[in-house]
Amino acid sequence: MIIDLSEEAAEFGRQALRAFEAAGGDGLVQRAEVDPSSREALVGPVLAELGAWDLEPRADTDSLEAAAALCRSAGYWALPYPVAERLSRPGDLDVDGLVVVASDRPLATLAGLDLRWAAATLDGRRHRVTGTSAGGPAFRSRLELSPLDTDGVADVALALVLPCWTLLGMLDRAMELTISHVRLRQQFGQPLSAFQSVQFQLTDAEVERTGLDMLAKYTLWSVGEGRDEALDDALALRMAALEAAEVVFRVTHQLHGAVGFCDETTLSWLSRYSQPLRRLPLGLSATRDLLTSRLDRHGLVGLYGAEREVAQ
Amino acid sequence: MTYELPDEMAELDEFRAHVRRWCADHVPADWRALQTAATDDEFVAFQKAWFAELHSAGFAVPHWPRQWGGGMSVGEQIVLYQELAAHDAPRLVLAFVGIHHAASTLLVAGSDAQRRRHLPAILDGEIWVQGFSEPEAGSDLASLRTSARRDGEQFVVNGQKLWASGGMHADWCLLLARTDPDAPKRKGISYFMMDMTSPGIDVRPIRNAVGDSHFCEVFLNDVVIPAENLVGAENAGWQVAQATLGAERGMTMLELAERLGNAGFRWLVEECGRPRPDGSRPLDDSSVRDTLARFETEISGLRGLCRNVVEGHDTGAGGPADPSIVKLFYSELLQRITDFGADIGGLAAHTVLTKPMSSGWESGAWVLDFIGSWEWTIPGGASEIQRTIIGERGLGLPREPVSS
Repeated sequence: MIIDLSEEAAEFGRQALRAFEAAGGDGLVQRAEVDPSSREALVGPVLAELGAWDLEPRADTDSLEAAAALCRSAGYWALPYPVAERLSRPGDLDVDGLVVVASDRPLATLAGLDLRWAAATLDGRRHRVTGTSAGGPAFRSRLELSPLDTDGVADVALALVLPCWTLLGMLDRAMELTISHVRLRQQFGQPLSAFQSVQFQLTDAEVERTGLDMLAKYTLWSVGEGRDEALDDALALRMAALEAAEVVFRVTHQLHGAVGFCDETTLSWLSRYSQPLRRLPLGLSATRDLLTSRLDRHGLVGLYGAEREVAQ
Repeated sequence: MTYELPDEMAELDEFRAHVRRWCADHVPADWRALQTAATDDEFVAFQKAWFAELHSAGFAVPHWPRQWGGGMSVGEQIVLYQELAAHDAPRLVLAFVGIHHAASTLLVAGSDAQRRRHLPAILDGEIWVQGFSEPEAGSDLASLRTSARRDGEQFVVNGQKLWASGGMHADWCLLLARTDPDAPKRKGISYFMMDMTSPGIDVRPIRNAVGDSHFCEVFLNDVVIPAENLVGAENAGWQVAQATLGAERGMTMLELAERLGNAGFRWLVEECGRPRPDGSRPLDDSSVRDTLARFETEISGLRGLCRNVVEGHDTGAGGPADPSIVKLFYSELLQRITDFGADIGGLAAHTVLTKPMSSGWESGAWVLDFIGSWEWTIPGGASEIQRTIIGERGLGLPREPVSS
């Protein structure tokens, strides 16, 4: 089992990173916040040019890895577009994308977009999105749903995993921004990065980010293989992603100081636009609750599950 | 531990009853509703009116010396802040710098003329702002670069100040500026009182992540300050600031700890008792009850620590790192509590986009409270600075080596 992304997928991710930068980089989300109806015009062409919608992540492994790399690059720039959600579209429905929603208050970051969406709850009930309310913070809108079927269990895992890759890209960026900030910012006659207490905070955050990176690759493999436990793995990834995001944003905000809460800094935008990813469809405690009840006493299968059964 | 003599205890009980009666009569029942989504003008008017109300009862500046309008014992001050918190009285936000930092600076280092001019004015509602931090001088305050050049009987000030809370509403500014660029950095700073109506001052609000703008940038362009507004000796400003910055921390922290332990914790428990769409309550979850119990224990510890700091400060028995311990403990506890409130509040808490002005740091608008709580581990000595102080002054550990 090789869980590293293929070189082609990694290169695709790098190209996407450069293409998003050329299309406006950090300015994209700032412009989209002013006018959410411009999201498609701002980002749509560059995604189409990259061939994002030619990817079939549910159909083949190369596409799946490229999709993950693309989401990560989108997260890096806090790209104001639901890339992961569009790439999660089910194969058997004529829609542009799929969002996973909670059953009681279906919300998603679809404000300002004129696309055909499906929504699935975590227990696999699928709906067509028939309307969206006016946008709230970070493009969030309330969804009106009309029920379709109960065939969505197999759709949900990928639709949970790809947004975690988006969040991972945000953590990559938050770390990069903070490392360069503490190298540049001088206090007490030396860069902040020279203080060991600053270094240790960053290393703690980096351990979280790296762990998430590994788990994201494992889960992508598990989902790609269509393993029975893919949904459990996807929920475990989501839980790890939320925990990592808490640590990383906590440390990066603290080390940026007050300016990190002002929109003059990119961190402030990243942090704000990470919120829907971290809260929807379920926040940390609800995700943990669901995962625990699903796992019951048998636990996660994990990397060495099959071998363990053989050994017994 | 101090034991109060029976007489003192009886007096304190009587005082507590007096404060309770006053609170019942004077704390406006609807102030939270009125201050939610209040305009800047409504906020300022309300703060000034509440300050005047407290002042007329003798509760506005209990920590000042009696001759200037204060004179409460530490025991009475503790009772006062406990009761104000228990009755969920509005918090003095606008007057804070004036009654604490400005007053203690004047009392420690000001001339008689300066005290006579400003202490009564503060009681009449004069608003102060602190002009310390700069873009390149945050944690390392002593590296500040705003300059004050002497020109006969006046100083000409140029530079930029940052994170000046309430700068838009201030009448006067406590200003640190460099008067001797050639001296070592802590020996070339002077402490000024600057009239905010002086020409050359440009105050620009900074909109923050919560969406409000109480922080300001202050640009100073050839601002003239008369030499009589120098506090303490020329070039001794750093020493004046050191003597007055930490002095007030104990009682203000005690007030905040009491607020957290009263209304703050009460709302958290109420939030946990509110039924969710499926009818269940967070309180029915044993992990939620465990978390609440842990918070209550920690809040009790915090309240005890604060009391210890103010009593220790009063009797001279306090440790050099006590205020830092309290600030660090409160900051991180506040972040965890408001974070938990945001978790429990769930998605609905994210739709609450206004919180009452004039409230404490926990208002029940949990998401805004959580974001706001980050103000605590960064300014006023970041948590990293507090840990350094605790290590060096509290534990006597060696200073961190300066990297080459």
